[in-house]
Amino acid sequence: MLRRTFFDAFCFAFLLCAGVVAVFVSAEEQLLNLIQDLVVVLVALAVGAGISLLFKKFKIRTLGSVLFDLPTSEQGHPWYRSFWGWQLIVLLVVSFAVALAKTEFSFVELLDQNGFAGAVRLFKGLFNPNWEVLPRAVLNIIETIFMAFLATSIAIPFAFVLSFFCAKNIMRGTVGYMVYLILRTILNVTRSIEALIWAIIFSVWVGIGPFAGMLALMIHSVASLAKQYSEMVESVEEGPIEAIESTGANKLQTIWYAIVPQVVLPYISFTVYRWDINVRMATVIGLVGGGGIGTMLIQYQGQAMWREVGCIIVVIAVVVWALDLASAHIREALK
Amino acid sequence: MSTPFLSVKNLSKTYPNGVQALRGVSFDVNPGEFLVVIGLSGSGKSTLMRCLNRLQDPTAGEIFFEGHDIGKLKSGEEIRALRRKMGMIFQHFNLIPRQSVLKNVLMGKLGQKKTAASIFGLFTDTEKSEALSNLKLVGIADKASLRADSLSGGQKQRVAIARALTQKPALLLADEPVASLDPATCHVVMDYLKKVNQELGITVIANLHFLSLVRKYATRVIALKDGEIVFTGKPEEITQEWFQKIYGEGTQDVAPDVL
Repeated sequence: MLRRTFFDAFCFAFLLCAGVVAVFVSAEEQLLNLIQDLVVVLVALAVGAGISLLFKKFKIRTLGSVLFDLPTSEQGHPWYRSFWGWQLIVLLVVSFAVALAKTEFSFVELLDQNGFAGAVRLFKGLFNPNWEVLPRAVLNIIETIFMAFLATSIAIPFAFVLSFFCAKNIMRGTVGYMVYLILRTILNVTRSIEALIWAIIFSVWVGIGPFAGMLALMIHSVASLAKQYSEMVESVEEGPIEAIESTGANKLQTIWYAIVPQVVLPYISFTVYRWDINVRMATVIGLVGGGGIGTMLIQYQGQAMWREVGCIIVVIAVVVWALDLASAHIREALK
Repeated sequence: MSTPFLSVKNLSKTYPNGVQALRGVSFDVNPGEFLVVIGLSGSGKSTLMRCLNRLQDPTAGEIFFEGHDIGKLKSGEEIRALRRKMGMIFQHFNLIPRQSVLKNVLMGKLGQKKTAASIFGLFTDTEKSEALSNLKLVGIADKASLRADSLSGGQKQRVAIARALTQKPALLLADEPVASLDPATCHVVMDYLKKVNQELGITVIANLHFLSLVRKYATRVIALKDGEIVFTGKPEEITQEWFQKIYGEGTQDVAPDVL
C-alpha cells in the first residue's frame, strides 16, 4: 500500500514537474534556487499522492497497484483499455522527451559538415597507427597489467577473511549480526565509490603514477571480491557443515573443513575475473593519473596525435581480448 | 537393571517458526542396543537425533547421557566434548567433495585436535592408520586415495560410517542412513551398521522407513507421530495394524517382507 502510493505519487509528480518546467521555465538559471525547486517537487509529490489515493477510492488500477498490490480477480481488460497501460505509455513518452531535451540530441550536429570532417581525420589517424610508439606502449601496458595483478593479489587475503564475516549463515546471534551489518555497509559504501574516484583520491595522497592506480584498484577489489566471496559462502550446502560440527569440531575447523573446500573453486574463478576487470579498469584509471597505458593515452589524446593514439588502442585491444579469452577458458575449466 | 546409557525425559522442541517438532518424548536406551525410530516424514525423527548431539537446542525436558543432563549444556566447549562421543551419519552422507576418502575419514578426529594442527592438515601416522583400519572395517580401504565425490551412494555412506567411527564414539546416530540408496545397497550399509553395533559394541540409534529393515536389524523400536511416541516395543510386535496406525490408513510397506 505504502509502496504503491509512493510509486504513483512519484509518477504523477514527475509528470507535473515536467509540465511545470516545460510551461514556465525558459532559462536553466530559474532552476538553480534549491528551496523553490524543493517546494515545487514536494507539492507535486503531495498532489501525486492525492491523485493516487483518489484512484484507489474509485478502484481504478494504477501502475503502482499493478506492480505492488496483490493481483485482484478482475477480468483482464486489454492493456489499452486500462488506466495503468496509458499511465505507463505517457510516462515513457514524457521520459523520452525529457531525455532528448536534456542530452541536447541533434541530428544537425551529427551530420554537420565540419564536425564530420574532423571525425574522418581522427579515424584516418586511428586506422593508420604510428608503430614508432609501440615499444613504449608495450612497456606501459605491462605496467598496467602488473598494477592490476598486484591490486588483485593484495586484495585476495583481505577479501578472503572479510567474506566469512560478511556471510549471514556464519554470523549468527546478535553480536554476529551486528558485525555482519556494519561490515556489509562499509563494503557497500566502498564499492559504490568508483575506482576512478579512488584513483583521484590516491593520486593526491601518494602522487600521480601506477602506485596510486594500484591502491585505487585494490580498495575497489577488496570490496567487490568480499561481496562475491561472501555470497558464495552463503550458498554452501548445510549438510557438510552439520557433519563436521557433529564430530565436535569448533567454528574455525568447521569453516576450514566444511566451507572452504566448497567455495575455493568459485573463489579462484571470481579472482581471475577480477584481475581481468582490473586490467580494463586500470586503463581507465590511467586517464586520471593512475599510471600505465591510460596515462600515455591521455597525453597523446591531449595533443590530438591520433596516429599514436591508434597504436595505443590496438595494444589495449589485443591485451584485453587475450586476457578476456584466457580468463574465460580458466573459469570454464574450473567449473 | 542399572542406570540406562541414555535417558530422554519429556523432551520438547519448538522451532522459532512455531512448529512443535517434539512434544514430551521420553525413552531409555541401554548400552549395545540397536534402537530404530520410525515415523512419517515430519514426525520429529530428525529433530530428535539433532537434540541428542545438540545440533539443535531442546526447548524443554532432560537428556541424561552418562549421568549428565546434556540438554542443558550451554558452553560451546562442553557441547563439542559431547559431540565427540556421538558419531552421526546422514541421509545425504555429507562427505566433503573434492577431498580424498582418507581425508574425509580423518575429519572424524577434528573434535580431538588442536585448531592450528588441523588447519595445516597435520594428521599423525597413528591417526592415519586408525582411519585406514576403519575404512577396512567397512570394506573400502582400497578407495582411500580416491576423491569422495567419485564414489557411489553406498560407498559414500560407508565412508561416512568410517568417519563417525574415527571419533571412537560411544553412540552412533544414523539419520535415515539408507533413505537415498537402492534396495541392494541398503542392506549392505545396514549390515555394516549391524557389524559396528555387534562387534564394536557401539550403541546405534537409527531413523528408518522400511518395516522389513526394521524387523531385520532393530533390537527395539520406537515410533513417533506428530512429535509424540505412539509405540515402543520389539520389532516383531509391530503388526500391520500398528504400522497403519503409525503411517496412516491404507499404507503399505514399500519393500514387503520377502526375507
